[in-house]
Amino acid sequence: MIPTSWFLVLSAILFTIGVCGFLTRRNGITMFMCVELMVNAVNLTFLAYARQFHQLHGLIFVFFVMAIAAAEAAVGLAIFISLFHHRETIDVDEANLMRW
Amino acid sequence: MIELLIFFFFAAVAVIFALVVILHRNTVVGALSLVASFFALAVMYVLLDAPFLAALQVIVYAGAIMVLFLFVIMLLNLQHVSEPATRPIQQFLGYSGSAFFGIALVYYIVKYTVLQLPPGPFLSDARLIGVALFEAYIFPFEMVSILLLAAIVGALLLSGRGGQAPSPVRTEVAR
Repeated sequence: MIPTSWFLVLSAILFTIGVCGFLTRRNGITMFMCVELMVNAVNLTFLAYARQFHQLHGLIFVFFVMAIAAAEAAVGLAIFISLFHHRETIDVDEANLMRW
Repeated sequence: MIELLIFFFFAAVAVIFALVVILHRNTVVGALSLVASFFALAVMYVLLDAPFLAALQVIVYAGAIMVLFLFVIMLLNLQHVSEPATRPIQQFLGYSGSAFFGIALVYYIVKYTVLQLPPGPFLSDARLIGVALFEAYIFPFEMVSILLLAAIVGALLLSGRGGQAPSPVRTEVAR
């Protein structure tokens, strides 16, 4: 049996990669993929703790996270399509209409 | 022993392809690498005694969500758009900040997580998940279905051109 903490370390590394990409990239779709990476890292943590404590609640939460990530991806990509129609770019720095 | 080899191989695959996602300039390559990373994570779910969620990971994430990403990338014709260079201060703060965050996270996990695994296998087949989902979690389940419906309507509204309905002539031509 593989210890739970190894899965937690893998999850932490994947989450950090996601944070790093989100902070350093400006391409909207790449930033969105980094968010998906972070969501998946959190799913891995949920499952690791579900096995640790022999509880099904973690699995149910992963199920809900997947459903909400699907909804988020649909709406977010629609926003990027709309942004591309209006500005001909998906660079997030170009979308500055609501900046102070 | 074979479990350890599988764990390390697929952990390395997941991390390497995640790095390709954030370092490669081409969005299509990034999306395909993310699919590979999700497949490696599905193997992790199998190692964690959750084969049903591994199947969901492959079908929903690698199958549906990433196809949506690739579809949008192809639709917007982004594979030839070169991304402008990020500002150096943003690069520096992003890399150093996330490196500090990651090192702190791994340090505290290694330092404080000393959990003994309980004996016996962890049963989590589709039947048990279904029973839990339709008894204890029936209300959140219904809420999620309403949320998905709202997401469908929102996506349709947002991605239409300026919110106006297509003219009847164009619909006739399309048919």
